Amino acid sequence: MKNKLSKNAMNILVPVTSVIIALFIAGIVILLIGKNPLSAYWVMLKGAFGNKAALAANISKMMSLVLTGLAVGFGFRAGIFNIGAEGQLMMGAIFSTIVGLNLGGVSPVFAIPITMLAGILGGAFWASIAGYLKATTGAHEVITTIMLNWIAVYLTNYFVAGPLAVGQGVPKSPEIAQSAQLPPLMTVQATTLPSGIIVSIIAAILVYILLEKTTTGYELKAVGFNPYAAEAGAISLSKNIVLTMAISGALAGLAGSMEVMAIHHRIFGDFSGGKGFDGISIALIGQNNPIGIIFAAFLISSLRTGSNAMQFAKVPDDIVTIIQGIIIFLVAADRIVRTFILKFSSPKGGESK
Amino acid sequence: MKKAVLLVLLMALVVSSFAFKVIMVSDVGGLGDKSFNDGTWAGILKAKDKYGIDVQVIQSKEQSDYVDNLSNAAKEADVVVAVGFMMSNALFDVAPQYPATKFIGIDIAPPEGGKVPKNVQLYLFKEQESAFFVGYLAAAMTKTGKVGFIGGIAIPPVERFRYGYMAGVKAYNDIYGDNVEVVVGYTESFTDAAKGKSMALAQYAEGADIIFAAAGACGNGVIDAAKEKSLKLYGIDANADLATVIDKYFEKGEGYFAIGVDSDQDYMAPGYVLASALKRVDNASYYGVRDAYRNRFKGGLQVLGALEDGVSLSQMKYTKGLVPARILAEIEYLNYAIKSGLLVVPDNENDLNNFSADIEFPF
Repeated sequence: MKNKLSKNAMNILVPVTSVIIALFIAGIVILLIGKNPLSAYWVMLKGAFGNKAALAANISKMMSLVLTGLAVGFGFRAGIFNIGAEGQLMMGAIFSTIVGLNLGGVSPVFAIPITMLAGILGGAFWASIAGYLKATTGAHEVITTIMLNWIAVYLTNYFVAGPLAVGQGVPKSPEIAQSAQLPPLMTVQATTLPSGIIVSIIAAILVYILLEKTTTGYELKAVGFNPYAAEAGAISLSKNIVLTMAISGALAGLAGSMEVMAIHHRIFGDFSGGKGFDGISIALIGQNNPIGIIFAAFLISSLRTGSNAMQFAKVPDDIVTIIQGIIIFLVAADRIVRTFILKFSSPKGGESK
Repeated sequence: MKKAVLLVLLMALVVSSFAFKVIMVSDVGGLGDKSFNDGTWAGILKAKDKYGIDVQVIQSKEQSDYVDNLSNAAKEADVVVAVGFMMSNALFDVAPQYPATKFIGIDIAPPEGGKVPKNVQLYLFKEQESAFFVGYLAAAMTKTGKVGFIGGIAIPPVERFRYGYMAGVKAYNDIYGDNVEVVVGYTESFTDAAKGKSMALAQYAEGADIIFAAAGACGNGVIDAAKEKSLKLYGIDANADLATVIDKYFEKGEGYFAIGVDSDQDYMAPGYVLASALKRVDNASYYGVRDAYRNRFKGGLQVLGALEDGVSLSQMKYTKGLVPARILAEIEYLNYAIKSGLLVVPDNENDLNNFSADIEFPF
């Protein structure tokens, strides 16, 4: 019984063990550069959770990471590798900004959902292009989404330097209407706790329900599990491919929308900071489970926020890149960790037999 | 163990609270960018050597780190240095929250319509002045009568480079009764070297032989293009030493050149980069830290030009031998004229159109 841990327990144990191993290995690295790993981690912990401002900074990073993680994770479940969350996030941000700019005087009750919807549609539209190409021509989504990422980057640059350009300095768009901005839950000095986090959590729950409790979700998963069997079972492959891409893109687009509505209130070049790509690692760590992805996003945002503080203790923040790399390696090569866990839990199990 | 750790932390805290502490928050480019961040850091290190202050650098990985890093730095340091115009918004959000900390903004313009907070000293540069020198130099050195300008995105500092460059060319035309033309293009990017290269090759094909790139890392592509075209013209391979390159230039009587920007980029392709239009961010950060240390911190905006050593022409370590001595002397005189206010380099389209160089060389 004990050396055959349940599948659910394993799904939690693998990432948790990976994190512990990663912290341990990175601790050795910190020791090798002549710093005390315990004090470094203590500073990191304080930097991520130590006070209200730290927590607010942490959660404002987590907000979009949950959504891009969901975007990629959802795709994985349906057998699609959406590497284009970055571009879809940008399209979502562009759509939200353009709509949000024109909603001055509209009550927030309408302005907020409309702006959000614009972002969702922007992302869904961008991803659907790749979905449509795959369904009709077989063009692989990895290639098309990467290409679409670049188009989105250039479109963003075009908009902030051209039709939407405003003011001096960084090429940027004007601020969206006050009524389309999501109010912060809390403000600590210059740091705000964005209410967008609530949207992210709700999105995760909705994706969970969609995947686990609906027929559509069942069909999507069936396609991901074995497309040939699914097709034999009268599930339309091309319809599901486009649908998967659209939903995945909608989630990434919502991430862009949140960045605009809850944090920056505008777009400018390179505002995303690679959050779309981070979605891939987060989906992996969260085992493609929507609830797992919430925790994975929180883990990554905590590491990042903590690493900023760690720099003040003169520990290079690259340590966090090492930690993140090891976690992803271990989660991806989960056999190693599974064997490790079983070895540790088997002596007791062995004796009882 | 825990107690020991706590003790060490406490000691560190006590020690650091005595020393004058400067923390630089880098933009996402980070240290090692051979440009703004490295330049600013060099200035801070100079202040450290001179005044024995405590210095530290905090690197930002994404835009949303700026507020976080500036706030944390403000809590620990006497002076916080923010680098690069990308940090403007974060700086003006954070600074008023920490009135006891002094902030220095390098290449950051005052907020639109707003006042500069009292504890913030901003430094901007008269890019047009250093661009004026390279414009004059390019006009004097061109063999085709055509020179190029490649900008990144048409933001104000890039435009100031362009105005200065075109004014430099115009000054040469006025003085020598020549008619050197300027071809202008923008890459719409500060990072895409490939784009810089293809645009440079296009301008060379149009007949330009010297191109000034004010386009960040796109400029690396422009330098590449200059080298590639020259190698073909000279018929030498890429490893040819500087002496060969110079010999070939005089043998052929022509060559292709790039002109670097911001930091001294002459070394990136010795013999192919004619000069660089420098923006001395190192001096700006040094002045800022020095003033704060000596309690002479004022706050507000300071625009550094040639007079304040804020901008200059590079040393031209590798290419000085290519330039006729008379031209070098003229540039030296122009430098004097700008510093003493005899010559004002235009920093906008209007002034550029009305610009004419009333300069008589005393030699």
